[in-house]
Amino acid sequence: MKVWVIAESKLMAQKASELRRVSLELVAKATAFGDTELVDVRGPERYVAAPAVDALAKKAEADKPDLVLVGSTPSGRDLAASLAARLGWAYAGDCVDVRPGEGSVEVARTMYAGKVRATIRLSLPAVVAVRPNAFPLTKTPPTDFQAQTVAAEMAPQKLQFVRFEPTKEAKAGVPLAEARVIVSGGRGLRGPENWKLVEELAAALGAALGASRAVTDAGWRPNEEQVGQTGKTVAPDLYIAVGISGAIQHLAGMTQSKTIVAINKDPDADIFKVADYGVVADAFAFVPALTAEVKKAKAAA
Amino acid sequence: MKLLVPLKQVPDSTMRIKVAPDGKSIVTEGITWSISPYDEYAVEMALEQKDADPSTTVSVVTVGPVRAKDALRAALAMGCDDGTFVTSDENAAPLVVARALAKFVEQKQPDLVLCGRQASDDDQGFVGPALATILGWPHVATVTKFAPADGGIEIWREVEGGHEVWKASGPALVTVQKSDKEPRYASLPGIMKAKKKELPELALSSLGVDAAAPKIEVVKMETPPQRGGGKILKAADGDAASVAAELVRLLRDEAKVL
Repeated sequence: MKVWVIAESKLMAQKASELRRVSLELVAKATAFGDTELVDVRGPERYVAAPAVDALAKKAEADKPDLVLVGSTPSGRDLAASLAARLGWAYAGDCVDVRPGEGSVEVARTMYAGKVRATIRLSLPAVVAVRPNAFPLTKTPPTDFQAQTVAAEMAPQKLQFVRFEPTKEAKAGVPLAEARVIVSGGRGLRGPENWKLVEELAAALGAALGASRAVTDAGWRPNEEQVGQTGKTVAPDLYIAVGISGAIQHLAGMTQSKTIVAINKDPDADIFKVADYGVVADAFAFVPALTAEVKKAKAAA
Repeated sequence: MKLLVPLKQVPDSTMRIKVAPDGKSIVTEGITWSISPYDEYAVEMALEQKDADPSTTVSVVTVGPVRAKDALRAALAMGCDDGTFVTSDENAAPLVVARALAKFVEQKQPDLVLCGRQASDDDQGFVGPALATILGWPHVATVTKFAPADGGIEIWREVEGGHEVWKASGPALVTVQKSDKEPRYASLPGIMKAKKKELPELALSSLGVDAAAPKIEVVKMETPPQRGGGKILKAADGDAASVAAELVRLLRDEAKVL
């Protein structure tokens, strides 16, 4: 089987030269399926679908890969769906497992905003977007693959990049969707001025920051940090929910996490129903103590 | 400005979803259906433009089974101008839906098409990008705002750390991440008006689109295993430090995530 992995480096805005971790995860997985090629789209600095799709579709029609794997990041999903539509190939997004078979591929993914787990069979050829962290990164980087680049040209005039407007709260940290540890804050923190509490815990853990919808809707935190049905679906190794009550839409976005810690002073909060470790406590007293203990443990390790 | 929002009716986000005995579909009995949340943001985003410039028209269209008509009525009640109902089977192939919508867009000729980022049933996020690709229109993903600008439309795309601003000089499509404000409720006069509006119906098969599509088949569905039975630690006044130390020990030695 001939497998393409689309390199996500040129698709991201800020660190154009760096290959995303998810691309490496996919290469490592793909080499187990068959002949793997890492395909890098060179062209516009900022991702936009049409030029990348034009270049990749032309190349795909000539090279005829059986399976195209793309990291299921916001840009990657958009690219994968557009490419599948252009080629008329089968498509599945946000997959957590990929199992190739004879003339078809089975993927595992969630549906109904995370409330259902499904196995889907796609006819080949197919384009599949795979979630970051779905496959472990091998200790030694894979070497058994080819690399190639395709050149994308921006069609003039139709769509132009104007400017970048940074979010003022944004910290240069781990992207939420790719983070192994996430610390999320909810309305229990009472106001944006108290975010230092979760920021310090996140810093001690090397974690990304998340938030409940109540918090992003109130404008306490930027939308991009929202975890849940209308935000990001995440599945880190460790998810710590601070002052989040656990609405069904929030739970749908994080119950696939490996270990869940809930800190809430209401013992009846729904978040405790999904927690592996629940701490019934006032966040303002408990979180600084937890930050201190994490620092101590990290220093001793 | 002419705006078009293709929308989909899905189980309401407050619904618990049960897998049917066949293990490949969900139990639809007792389900309340709503406009998919991201599509609702798209409707709101379009209506905010109409608020700012009353000459704006906002049209909605859906491809779906009979029940999906209610989603169009709900959008009209929010303040959309007109709705078109393309009737189809329960599970029309997403690529065929995109082709049908492309026919409709070519007929309607909007300046901007606003699709939700993904529908909260299959969670695929395919139809928006596919529609743009079929039309040969530029599109911008995960959009939170747009505004008419000199000779085109400025579009804000949410990315890590902020927003990219793009400018489309001709017709374009966006997939919507979130609107500036929460989707508005339908007003009573809005509901009355929506009831009286004609909803033209077209059969998907009458649009003359290619019905061939790659096979995408659900093999199995299951609800995620119930979590719970977790350890509960209680931190009463004054012993936060010892409970925190115990939690760190559990995360390191038992869960092995530190």
